Amino acid sequence: MKVDTVLRLKDVPGMLIKALEPISSHGGNVISVTHSREEKGLVSVHVSFKVQDQSSLNLIRRALEKQRIIISEMAIEGRTYITKKSLSFILVGHVIDTDIRDTIDRINEVGMVSGIEVVMPAPNQKSSVLMDVEIDEKSNGILLSLVEKICKEKEFLLVRSL
Amino acid sequence: MKTVKLIVVGFGTIGKGTLEVLRAKHRDLMEKQGCDVRVVAICEIDGTLVNGKGVNIDSVLKAAAAGKLRDHPDWKNMKSLQAIEEIEADIVLELTPGDIKTGEPGISHIKKALECGKHVVTSNKSPIALKFQELTALAEKKGLKLRYEATVGGAIPIINLYRDSLEINKVGSIYGILNGTSNYILTKMSEEDVSLETALKEAQELGIAERDPSYDINGTDTAVKLVILANSIMGKKISYKDISVKGIQDITPDAIELAGKHGFVIKLVGDVNGLEVSPRLVPLHHPLNVSGTLNAVMLDTDIAGTLTLIGHGAGKIQTASSVLADVIDIMKDMQDS
Repeated sequence: MKVDTVLRLKDVPGMLIKALEPISSHGGNVISVTHSREEKGLVSVHVSFKVQDQSSLNLIRRALEKQRIIISEMAIEGRTYITKKSLSFILVGHVIDTDIRDTIDRINEVGMVSGIEVVMPAPNQKSSVLMDVEIDEKSNGILLSLVEKICKEKEFLLVRSL
Repeated sequence: MKTVKLIVVGFGTIGKGTLEVLRAKHRDLMEKQGCDVRVVAICEIDGTLVNGKGVNIDSVLKAAAAGKLRDHPDWKNMKSLQAIEEIEADIVLELTPGDIKTGEPGISHIKKALECGKHVVTSNKSPIALKFQELTALAEKKGLKLRYEATVGGAIPIINLYRDSLEINKVGSIYGILNGTSNYILTKMSEEDVSLETALKEAQELGIAERDPSYDINGTDTAVKLVILANSIMGKKISYKDISVKGIQDITPDAIELAGKHGFVIKLVGDVNGLEVSPRLVPLHHPLNVSGTLNAVMLDTDIAGTLTLIGHGAGKIQTASSVLADVIDIMKDMQDS
């Protein structure tokens, strides 16, 4: 069966090979690879391949996820069944001291924190933290209310994307 | 040729700008519109210049510049409400700076004008945001026009564009950068890596920010404009208290730098559909990423698609463009009837 995917890869050397390897090693035959550099940080790569059956595809998915490669879209024989989107937001406040692990864990229950960058001017000052979260399109609203709840609780300023 | 008489209420920045443009464009208005536009009264806080044949705009502007308005031969000890009631005119231009909490004196001026059978054009956002339903209903009842293009986005013709050209569309969302001062500050912080306090101080020195800029910084000004857009374009019936408002006061240079590194800028965005004013991450190449004091409004419509208007959100001459667009519109209607 024919599988069309959009993978979101870090913009570093060797990532593409790392992403294609699990496909071929589980019997996938790559038909085409195109990539578009739209945003900073991550690159969207469209990969189409043919695979024997569903169980081989499952193996490929698991292998990709193990490498922390994000599958933002997947269609089998033209029928879409995953669409993920990436959301970015900035938290300003005492983000580290208010248990950043807990913040990330709670967000991971709804989506997946795929990137995080922290700027800490001094230990007693407010830090700024940018998070990228991969999420199923339909869970957008749930994620937003969760993040708003965390911000209220931990007194962060939330700067979310448009 | 038809003579159209105006009463100008409020002789601050926008009042003066409007008179300057009228002085410069008087002949244009006669040739293009076939109307001889005359200003028959100019109301200040403590008196009114009155001349039934039309004040000499040039001499008034010169007197005002010299601080000798009260020595002008047309100066009378007449209060604005009395002038609106007693002086014969077609259109009242309500150009006072409104108090955001009470809407006065603008609300009283607008009501008095409509009750006395005069059309109204205003640049004063507070009365329109606070009493939208009441004032538009009063105008309709009296068969008069109440126009308020200059209240939102300065020179950007968003309200009239919707009314004249987009009415077939259903507007799904409106996002706006509606406050020049906060946008100037965010732009400075991002381009020059300075603190909010430094950027604000510079804005004040340049005359962009007022001495008390709290309404610009804390999002109040944007929220008031958002109320006007929601009511006039999206047909909502909302007031200021329905809006969640967060300003830019807690935005740090670190946050701006971090956003920049990931391809974003931080902007104070009014989200009309979400009834929210808050700092948001806007992609670097997004049409709403306008710099300095510029304003921008983005409409999502079902037929026309997405439209973005960018322009000067303030400035005495630029705002006068919207005030006079409304005046011309009313004059055309007067000629038709």
